[in-house]
Amino acid sequence: MSQDRLYVVTNDQITPGRVRAGKMMIWASFALLVLVAAWQIMGGYDLAADFSNWRPTLYAYMFFVTCFCMALVVRHGEQGKRRLFVVPATIFVLSMVFFPLVFGLSIAFSDWNLSSISGQQYNGFDNIRQMWQDDFYWNALTNMVWYTLAIIVEYAIAFGLALLLNSQIRARKFFRVAFLLPLMLSPVAVSWMVGKSMLEARFGPIARLARTLGIDNPSFFGDAETARAMIMIMDAWTFIPFMMIMLLAGLQSIPKDIQEAARVDGATPWQNFWEVTFPLMLPVSITAIMIRIIFKLKLADIIINVTSGGPGGATDSVTSFIFREYRDRSNVGYGTMLAMVYLVFIVIGFTLFMKLAARWMRPKY
Amino acid sequence: MKVELYNRIVASQLNRRSVLKGAASVSALAASGGLIPGMARADAHANLREQILAIPGVGMGSPTDADWQAVGELCLGTTRARFAEGEFEGVELTFMGLNNQNLHNFLFRGFLRPWEQYTGATINWIDLAQADYNARLQQSIATGTVDFDIIEMGAPFEGDTAGRGLLDPMPDWVKEDIDMDDYVGYLQEPVGTWAGETYRVSIDGDCHNFNYRTDYFDSEEFAAAWAEEGHEGPWEVPTTWQKVQEVSTFLAGKEDPFTGLQAHGYLDPLKGWGGFGFYFLASRATAYAKHPDDPAWLFDPEDMTPRVNNAAWVRAIQDVMDIMETQPADQINADPGTTGFQQFLAGTGSMLSWWGDIGSSARTSDTSVVGDVIGFSILPGSDDVWNHATQTWDVLPSGPNLSPNMAYIGWGIYVMARAAEGGELKRRAAWSAAAHLGGRDLSLWCSAYPSGFQPYRNSHFNIDEWEAAGYDRAFIEDYLGSEADSYNHPNAAIEPRIPGIFQYYSVAEDELAKIYAGEYASVQEGADAIAAAWDAITDQIGRDSQVALYRSSLGLE
Repeated sequence: MSQDRLYVVTNDQITPGRVRAGKMMIWASFALLVLVAAWQIMGGYDLAADFSNWRPTLYAYMFFVTCFCMALVVRHGEQGKRRLFVVPATIFVLSMVFFPLVFGLSIAFSDWNLSSISGQQYNGFDNIRQMWQDDFYWNALTNMVWYTLAIIVEYAIAFGLALLLNSQIRARKFFRVAFLLPLMLSPVAVSWMVGKSMLEARFGPIARLARTLGIDNPSFFGDAETARAMIMIMDAWTFIPFMMIMLLAGLQSIPKDIQEAARVDGATPWQNFWEVTFPLMLPVSITAIMIRIIFKLKLADIIINVTSGGPGGATDSVTSFIFREYRDRSNVGYGTMLAMVYLVFIVIGFTLFMKLAARWMRPKY
Repeated sequence: MKVELYNRIVASQLNRRSVLKGAASVSALAASGGLIPGMARADAHANLREQILAIPGVGMGSPTDADWQAVGELCLGTTRARFAEGEFEGVELTFMGLNNQNLHNFLFRGFLRPWEQYTGATINWIDLAQADYNARLQQSIATGTVDFDIIEMGAPFEGDTAGRGLLDPMPDWVKEDIDMDDYVGYLQEPVGTWAGETYRVSIDGDCHNFNYRTDYFDSEEFAAAWAEEGHEGPWEVPTTWQKVQEVSTFLAGKEDPFTGLQAHGYLDPLKGWGGFGFYFLASRATAYAKHPDDPAWLFDPEDMTPRVNNAAWVRAIQDVMDIMETQPADQINADPGTTGFQQFLAGTGSMLSWWGDIGSSARTSDTSVVGDVIGFSILPGSDDVWNHATQTWDVLPSGPNLSPNMAYIGWGIYVMARAAEGGELKRRAAWSAAAHLGGRDLSLWCSAYPSGFQPYRNSHFNIDEWEAAGYDRAFIEDYLGSEADSYNHPNAAIEPRIPGIFQYYSVAEDELAKIYAGEYASVQEGADAIAAAWDAITDQIGRDSQVALYRSSLGLE
């Protein structure tokens, strides 16, 4: 018998009738799903009575999925029960990722302006061609490169703070909590409290301080570089604690005896850090940086609230640009295509990054 | 009015009991109309207007929810006369509107609370920020998920809604109740109508007027410096954009007579505002671009070719660029809301184009410091105007060309077809709520206090009523005069009511941001980019249908 009997609790006696009943459950519920979906689609074209919303098809889909899971047990007994540990989760992921992706692609290859009476029209690769000539999109992508590169500085600061909080300093517990506070704030709150209030050029406390220090007309968003830097600082202030806490956890998990052995062998503090601590922290560092990149790629809320992408697109992120294209201009087809292309860039970028990270983490000696 | 002060006055004079008594008296007077001489009715009506204008009283601070409810209760007379108490029991309506500056829906809630209590209907609220409004509406329309029965909406969106059969035509009894004949001329048909049907209860009459600081232009110090620098003409409020430019440049580096901080001339909001920021460039451009012999100024009526890159618009954009150095720090990051409420009303800058909210907030908002030093006029004109037909600049024999920008044509209340689909009772309830908000007396209160709305009825221009409410006569004559001059101007620039108009504005904001940041080699190049983007939008939405609707909105067909 090919099955690994070690894990079989009961020996199922599955009759051919049970197998047929299982198949029946699957195919009958699937047929019902197809029927309801077909009815729904025909209703959309006025060929049948309209359901008015997609709930009937959704309910038919859920019924099919339930029948499918039950049929696993009916058809395969104990083996089926084991599969039930995985199948619902798989179906959930498929439902929440795969189907929306397919729908998204169908929108991305269409010309769909919400104000257009003609509605959605498939237009092949026109959106790609438009994207190729869209200076705003490429500008936003370039900005994203700068925003992402800023993570290197954020990482250095976070590592420094983590080392500080890992050492024997006074009020260590207090500082650990205090440094975490910015992470507990919503970026929207940060953009209003810091970007729109504290950095307000006339009445904001930072502007007043700058004037006290002799700067006549303090301006925080007046030119491209300063504005971009301010966005980076606000975003960094919010998320450095996140990297710091991950790195701190990593530092605490390093066995003390390794560092002590290095000291006994005569390693200087710098050598101890660079040759022992840092390499041991690489896996945690890579994880922290990767999660931080994911957060960074979604950067939009602070930008939308504080600068709307200005001045002249200097602070625009891909997400904030798509937000304007999709929301303010109701350009659903093109906006979706931009998001899809961004997704492809992200997938390629992450694959390369993980390959490189795997190479870096190989032992040097 | 401060809350505690208001509460004290309410306790002694205007408590709920006396308010109810007043409302009951008003409705009793209305109900027994045949028995009471006309003069007595007129007096009662005048008393009502006087009574609501005293809530909370000009100079007594910002009104609160209690004030809005009190006004709503006093203005219930029309509803009481037409509907029995509890007639809409069980009806549930959804209302979608704005929450800008804690106005709009915030007021509507208060105004409609007594209406809900009287009729028995309940209202669910969808509050939107200004910048979210267009997107929310468009998505609801396109996805067939209109989930509201009543909407606060501007006339520019009539193409998107009425053009698709999403609105319910106004019943005749509503027209009677809201006294539509009282609307100022430009809000009469065709605004609010579509294919011969009326849809809109106007609650606002929009135009940009010119707000300026009187202390700047009364300043002897500035007058002396102006003469000393050899400027032509006396030191006075500019009446042309050419002078606005000159004054703004002159004021650079000088000291604000009120705040002691740096003086500034004209304030240009340079950051987008979900499409609404484009109106502020338009206010600069209309005097150059709107020729008295040509109804069009944004697009060619023949084929929707954009005019935004013609000499007139390029000149307006260049004007913005020319005085950018004189603007407050970070102005490039200031949207119209910031510019109007956090800068001008807070004492920064001396000249500003904005809707009438600035005037109605100047003396009634807690955050305004310029109430005593603010003046108003129609938007500045231009010594010459672009003639699109001859492609030349014309100097008019009548003097500078004036063309006030009727930006947004005002907010209105519309009832969706969805309400009518919910049955006749629901439809009547929805229209009753709309009529309550658009009532003649309630609208007077909205014009006089911070509400987000400006005067839009002929009856709003009775100076005596405003003076009795506590307004300084000179101030209110000045304010209402600027509004009336704009509304009644024969060369007013009225925007096209075509689908997707805010898409045009939104993409223009993106390109303008690049122009202002100096990313184009010339203003003309940037304006050409806006025109190209506008052409693309027209093609995407459908050029033929856009041309037809545009011509219709201009009254050409």
